[in-house]
Amino acid sequence: MKNISASNPAEDPVKEQAAKLSVYVSSSPHVHSTEDVPWIMRQVIYALIPGALVGVYFFGIPALRVIAVAIVSCVVMEALWQKLTASPVTIKDGSAVLTGLLLAMNLPSGAPWWLVVIGSLVAIIIAKQLFGGIGNNPFNPALVGRVFLLISFPVAMTTWPEPRSFFSQAADAATGATPLGALKTAIFEHGTIAAAPGLNLMDPFLGNVGGSLGEISALALILGGIYLIARRIITWHIPVVYIATVAVLTGILWLVNPEGYASPAFHLVAGGLMLGAFFMATDMVTSPITNTGKVVFAIGCGVITVVIRLWGGYPEGVSFAILIMNAFVPLINRATKPAKFGAVR
Amino acid sequence: MKTFKGGIHPPEEKQLVKDNPIVDFPLSSRYHVLVQQHLGAPAKPVVKAGDEVKKGQVLSEPLGFVSVPVHAPTSGRVREIGRIVHPVTGLLAPCIVIDADGRDEWAHGLPLERDPFAMSREELMDAIKAAGVVGMGGATFPTHVKLSPPKDKTIDTFIVNGAECEPYLSSDHRLMLEQPERVLKGTGVIMKVLGLNRATIAIEANKPDALRLMREKAPAEIQVEALKVKYPQGAEKQLINALTGREVPSGGLPMDVGAVVQNAGTCAAVWDACARGIPLIERITSVTGRGIMQPKNIRVRVGTPLREVIDFCGGLNSVAKIIFGGPMMGIAQFTQDIAIMKGTSGVLVLREEDTNITAYSACISCGRCVEACPMGLIPSVLSKLGEKGMHQKAVENNLLDCVECGSCTYVCPANRPIVHFVKHLKALSRAAGAKK
Amino acid sequence: MISSILLLGGIGFLAALVLGISAVTFAVKMDPREQEVLDQLPGANCGACGYAGCAAFAHEITVNPEAEMACPAVNEKALEAISAVLGRSLGGSAPLIACIRCKGAPAETTNRYGYIGPKDCRAAQIVAGGPKGCQYGCLGLGTCEEVCPFEAIIMGEDGLPRVIESLCTGCGKCVSACPRGIIQLIPRTGNYWVGCVSKDTAKEMKPLCKVGCIKCGICGDVCPFDAITVSKTASAEIDQDKCQRCGLCVSACPTGVISALSVPRKVHIIAEKCKGCSICEQVCPAEAISGKVKEPYLVNEGKCIGCGLCIEKCPSDAIERIIS
Repeated sequence: MKNISASNPAEDPVKEQAAKLSVYVSSSPHVHSTEDVPWIMRQVIYALIPGALVGVYFFGIPALRVIAVAIVSCVVMEALWQKLTASPVTIKDGSAVLTGLLLAMNLPSGAPWWLVVIGSLVAIIIAKQLFGGIGNNPFNPALVGRVFLLISFPVAMTTWPEPRSFFSQAADAATGATPLGALKTAIFEHGTIAAAPGLNLMDPFLGNVGGSLGEISALALILGGIYLIARRIITWHIPVVYIATVAVLTGILWLVNPEGYASPAFHLVAGGLMLGAFFMATDMVTSPITNTGKVVFAIGCGVITVVIRLWGGYPEGVSFAILIMNAFVPLINRATKPAKFGAVR
Repeated sequence: MKTFKGGIHPPEEKQLVKDNPIVDFPLSSRYHVLVQQHLGAPAKPVVKAGDEVKKGQVLSEPLGFVSVPVHAPTSGRVREIGRIVHPVTGLLAPCIVIDADGRDEWAHGLPLERDPFAMSREELMDAIKAAGVVGMGGATFPTHVKLSPPKDKTIDTFIVNGAECEPYLSSDHRLMLEQPERVLKGTGVIMKVLGLNRATIAIEANKPDALRLMREKAPAEIQVEALKVKYPQGAEKQLINALTGREVPSGGLPMDVGAVVQNAGTCAAVWDACARGIPLIERITSVTGRGIMQPKNIRVRVGTPLREVIDFCGGLNSVAKIIFGGPMMGIAQFTQDIAIMKGTSGVLVLREEDTNITAYSACISCGRCVEACPMGLIPSVLSKLGEKGMHQKAVENNLLDCVECGSCTYVCPANRPIVHFVKHLKALSRAAGAKK
Repeated sequence: MISSILLLGGIGFLAALVLGISAVTFAVKMDPREQEVLDQLPGANCGACGYAGCAAFAHEITVNPEAEMACPAVNEKALEAISAVLGRSLGGSAPLIACIRCKGAPAETTNRYGYIGPKDCRAAQIVAGGPKGCQYGCLGLGTCEEVCPFEAIIMGEDGLPRVIESLCTGCGKCVSACPRGIIQLIPRTGNYWVGCVSKDTAKEMKPLCKVGCIKCGICGDVCPFDAITVSKTASAEIDQDKCQRCGLCVSACPTGVISALSVPRKVHIIAEKCKGCSICEQVCPAEAISGKVKEPYLVNEGKCIGCGLCIEKCPSDAIERIIS
């Protein structure tokens, strides 16, 4: 349903008319919090900046290019689509910018520009606009874009440039495996993590590893996540329970068989768990609306992530886990309604 | 400190008037006394054009049990039984127009000198009804009806609502600071009517001076309790829940959990009615907001034209909204040609920068409304159903439990007018029910 | 290779078997005529018939031999087809069409305040009685357009709703949706309606609306069939049963607030048949016919208002309608 407001005088004659009259009249309440949707999007973008900066530091200009292309193409595609379908253009709410940034953080820094554009198209048009625009999409748009690219261009999407200092001018970027990739290879081919001797905790914690340009530094992402929780953009439920589930499950297995499984600490800092737990699973539109629902959702994400990481064909399971749980959100919402005041028992 | 689940913390903005002592509003030359200033059946005029009336004289009689009379706010002559825009509906409603004679003479015999504690319960109830006392927090429910629960409901708790949780308003605050005896003695009278020997006065913690004074003045049987500052602490159900832990059942009333709640101003009016036979013809109103040049707390008669009130307070600054009541549940007015009513706890003038006039967008399921709702509902679902007019499904989603406090709408980042959708759905549901 | 063909073929055969058996054992017993009736119904599920959708009504009218044709949206052809299928003749009710009884576009009216809220007339009405100055007129927010199941109402450029005659079925959904009650159903053969329902006196209405009914009463005076009632506090009302579609009120109305579904066609006297009796000249309210007795009379097309009174009164059947 459309609505009447006073903020678009060109589109609505209301403001013009009201200027001749004395007052506006609306239903109560007549005051409002200053935190609106653009404000929320901005806070999330600020929280992502540390992670993005680390990615640019370790992967150089190509990373910056991926980020820029992703953001610009997401915004342009949303505007174009809305113009073509004669809908109100909503790029000012910042959600397309955020989707672009999140998509970029989930891509390898060496991704060619056309790959990024295709990912943006899938994320914005297929995963978001075709469902009715913001608020109506059941699946996380950035993740849909990423998974589409992973399945369609598996080589380009698993070519990981080695991290190096931004200031070292190496001509060609060498490529290598991500920590989780090395782990999977070691387990599948040799049955023991000892076959991947280079694995340690400090590198993935700070960021000195291969991987998607936004996921490499657990520290930067945790800092951003704490900012989001402190600012009350997200609640602690999803990140804490998701991470705890992964820690507990991998911890049990590691305690039973330390040679065949990596430690829980490793699983926490390696791969896209921090990015997923703080920024992707907490996407408001595609996660449950009550705190109890969020806990259920997070447990599901944790379980599926661990299953894929340990026994699935892919080294990383965060994207798939979140998308699968996105599908359950309407059911979770129905099952975890808040307690009504004065419910007649 | 005791509190309830949910709720929000809007900026209090009470500094504009909370330290302003009550000022007596001067006599006006003309009063427009609405015949319906209460919930229930309207009152029936018993005067006609040309009649001389004295202050406190009955102008219209109640129709039925859930109804109260209205009285002349001053002495003068009835100019006409006319019509004026009703602040609650926005439509023209009957009112009795009185041209004041300037002498401000009481009706014969008033004010009386009585000892309410020597009067019987029936005499007290008659006095309260005859004085036209209604809930002065804004709901305007006839007080004598609230104080007569059916025999099968045992009342064991009486709460005086001094919370005043709406931002900007300070009328109850100033009343408790400047006339605590009226409030306390009125509380005592109601305790006698209800047959209780204990009562609690609840005041939010942002009024430490009122808490101190009331604690000092209150007799032992009246306990003064401080509550955490949170909107809507002053909502009846939330007040009972915070103080006693009881939840008024869905579709029920406070009496179903043995509680009766009355606004502090109503208690003062009850004392006046019982001890001095004075009808409800004036009240304390906070005229506030940054859109008014000189915010004040005024003691103003019912029927006073709003234009005069605004002039008395220095006139308008820049104005976007004029609200009767507080900013969360008050009703926006479109004209200054209206009059003060029994339930007008505040006149709030907001500038454009103080209020919200932006367009709304799609719900992003952020869950802030769920966190804020004090009734445990999911307001976002109700707003989406409201867009489609799906009132049956809304009723299944507990639409009728919504008290329209506005907490959800305040926090919604998409600016969705959730309370408006709820009102819309309720109206559709009523119309569908009526058709059947 | 053979094994996979056999395996997949076997699975396919099993599936077909299950489906085939289910189609027979779980078949819903339905009168086959019901589907034929349903095919003839418009399928808009508007609920005007009083049943929960077209399927429910099709079921009722098929199984219940006493059931009446309650669907206002079926046309002649569909009615005949349904009658043929059910083997009994079903008479439809006189077809109705919706008319919008307000001409107060935003350009001609004043607003009391700037409304902020959902773009729905019912929602706007509960906020201080709606933003329009006139308490009776169209709010122009398009709820009627939204609820019409046949897309037969569109909001015009001027902010007023327009009924598309060819699509309107008279189901009445718009009538109940309008919070102001300005939409009325009139018979399709009915031609005229008054585009104002205001109960304000002309003086009260003047600052609020430039095009409303000023309650002058001229229409009531000129109507030869006593079909119009009007008073100082009630806009003109045309009794559709008494109205004979002469159109005199339309010509007489000084503000043009009476609307017509279609412009009546002018008349022409067939010279060969005319006996020159002069009855037409006498009954013509517009003084558009003249002539000499015993000679063919002539119609002045410019003055003719197409009321058709002359056609009714002519004893020689010498007058016909023309397209001018």
